[in-house]
Amino acid sequence: MKNTPEMEKLDNILRSSRIVAGGFMGQDNRDVNEITQEDTRTVEKLGYSLKQVADRMRLITEQAKKSLGVPVEIDAKLTTCVDEAKGRIVCPWPHPASFDKRLTTVKDIDTGEDITWSDLHIHLIDEHGFFEGRGSSMRIEPEKLIKLIFRK
Amino acid sequence: MTMFKVDINGEKQIEIRQGQSLYEGLAAADIFIPSACGGRAICGYCKVKVTKGGGEVTPQELPFLDDGQLNDNIRLSCQVKVNGDISIEIPKGLLAGRLYKCTCSDIEELTADIRRFRFDLVRPKVMNYVPGQFIQFRTPVYFEGGEEVYRSYSIASDPADKSAIELIMRRVPNGISTTYCFDHLNVGDKVTVNGPSGDFHLSDTDSPMIFIAGGSGMAPIRCILNYMRNTSVKRKAVYYFGANKVNELFMLDEMKQFENDLEDFRFVPVVAAPDANEIWTGLTGLVTDAVESDLKNAADYEAYLCGSPGMIEASRKVLGRLGIPEDKIYYDSFA
Repeated sequence: MKNTPEMEKLDNILRSSRIVAGGFMGQDNRDVNEITQEDTRTVEKLGYSLKQVADRMRLITEQAKKSLGVPVEIDAKLTTCVDEAKGRIVCPWPHPASFDKRLTTVKDIDTGEDITWSDLHIHLIDEHGFFEGRGSSMRIEPEKLIKLIFRK
Repeated sequence: MTMFKVDINGEKQIEIRQGQSLYEGLAAADIFIPSACGGRAICGYCKVKVTKGGGEVTPQELPFLDDGQLNDNIRLSCQVKVNGDISIEIPKGLLAGRLYKCTCSDIEELTADIRRFRFDLVRPKVMNYVPGQFIQFRTPVYFEGGEEVYRSYSIASDPADKSAIELIMRRVPNGISTTYCFDHLNVGDKVTVNGPSGDFHLSDTDSPMIFIAGGSGMAPIRCILNYMRNTSVKRKAVYYFGANKVNELFMLDEMKQFENDLEDFRFVPVVAAPDANEIWTGLTGLVTDAVESDLKNAADYEAYLCGSPGMIEASRKVLGRLGIPEDKIYYDSFA
């Protein structure tokens, strides 16, 4: 399917280093629609919606924010902490949305497995179903994310 | 080529080429409107007041402008195409900014992810700035698909030394500018900065002061402390510097020296959660808790904050409880 000029422009921005060093797409040659559709299917197969995933990430970030960088426990299963920098980062999609430069790291207390996301990630997942392309250093694997943040 | 006149604050006139954006035209005249996206209507930071001309507000601007700003003719300078004479108003300080060619002359690792960079000014050779101000650092294209970007950093150096500036940067994962500075910039490399800009500065009062900073927020406070020493400022001051771990503290000796050099100054480093193997005899816990327990009443104080958005937000709450009015709490607006 041929992309619209708007989609091509978005694809160019996502592959460039205009917003983050190295871009959002990694070595992924698929277009952004293919990437978001596949990741959304993965989330839904696991029994969740993008909104549920984003809401849980948002909740964890909010809990971590209160301790200004010191790890806090969540449900005695996870620890989380935030790391903040000055400035804001903008959403690459063509609409006005910018976010504090904040990284939230969540770690499984038992296994040590961890995932880091930014406030922008939460928005990208919630609004655009975008977990970043394969090979991007900040890509979040939906299965791994869901397994960790909804740990029973 | 048709050129149009742009009147700035009624005190400076420049000419901009027809069809060029106001943002680009101003930059070509060494007037740098702060922007995080380089003029693509993504960040919404490059606002100016257009008092004459400028055409209609574009759809791209609308999401960034509230009703009050629209009524006040505030525009995104990157979206204003110059197709006639224009009059604008910008913060006075931006007119004093210039483009500076520099050479990186020193890089010092302060912690695992914080470094001090020194840049000797090559052309012009001198920068006059108000302690607390920031510069915009131009990050060149350093890999395929990249673009030049500007990022703001507070000046960290001794203002008595006008021939160089120092910046304290903390690495931001995947950050365009800090990735360049940490992984690609070497001593001897040429870089460009513009400025100085910003309204963060010491007030002209005798009120006692609280400084609160964390991480690279040390930068403007260090500059201000140097200024206080150089000009024999005798105001009472206490500086709370927060870190999560002991190994994230830096410049402790230099800060302690200010306790000797300044008339009434205390430096209070605070570590949130020292590791078991770290030796630390100072205060522990959140820096904001340390402020609250150390100062029971601070109604007469002014506060100067520099750090992460979360730290600034938490500090403002604590300082409010200690009796400091909101208009006596100062912090970097670009934070």
